[in-house]
Amino acid sequence: MSFSINSTVSENAEGAKVALITLTGELDSLSARLFQKEIEKVALESPKDLVLDMEQLSFMASAGLRVLIFSKQKIGPALSIYIVKPQEPIVDTLDKTGLLHSVTIVDKYPS
Amino acid sequence: MESRTFPGTVDSIDQIRHYIMEISQAAGLGKKPTYNLMLAADEIATNIILYGYQEANQEGDIDVIHSLTDTELTVIFEDTATPFDPLQRELPDEEDLTKPLEERSIGGLGIFLTVQGVDEFSYEYVENRNRNIFKMYVVSSE
Repeated sequence: MSFSINSTVSENAEGAKVALITLTGELDSLSARLFQKEIEKVALESPKDLVLDMEQLSFMASAGLRVLIFSKQKIGPALSIYIVKPQEPIVDTLDKTGLLHSVTIVDKYPS
Repeated sequence: MESRTFPGTVDSIDQIRHYIMEISQAAGLGKKPTYNLMLAADEIATNIILYGYQEANQEGDIDVIHSLTDTELTVIFEDTATPFDPLQRELPDEEDLTKPLEERSIGGLGIFLTVQGVDEFSYEYVENRNRNIFKMYVVSSE
């Protein structure tokens, strides 16, 4: 399956923890399991910001949305989620399902 | 009418998705309707494979049947899992969709995207087979 994911956790200029996860390929119900594992991994560091680089992500099924919801529930309501350069159909899906106003779409992070 | 059979295993999920993309492009659907049909088909195929077959310890196939007329592309998934009508599932309503993430429940989004993404979606159970039917109008108003 054409999906890959990797993550790093670092500190930003204010000393807060930032988890960066880069998703590439197609995020369906199988690859969403890997996404969820990655969230569980970075959650151990209690990041303040979760940055999802989706520039190279061409497909996202509802299982991917469920992991977004999971990440907020796992890490806590104070978590800010940034999505870097999502492709149009993915923005459309976030919009239709009402998740768009729970995330911040950016061209790069930090802006 | 053309038909292709996929085994009801997880390896088929992305294969079915890619096959639907080929069908949509061959039918001349635009980029957005192609994606939406692919997403709808992926959600339903995933349900059939993970819940209809895998979780129920059943084996079976998914037949993907499609036909094209001047006005619409019809794609039908047929499977032999236990009867399951995805439309019986409770869909998230306006209130659910505006809740903050930390209060959102996780269910129902897949079928919601399916119904939203295609021009017509229906379900029937005929001769011991689930039939999930997707229709896309070929002359789209996009």
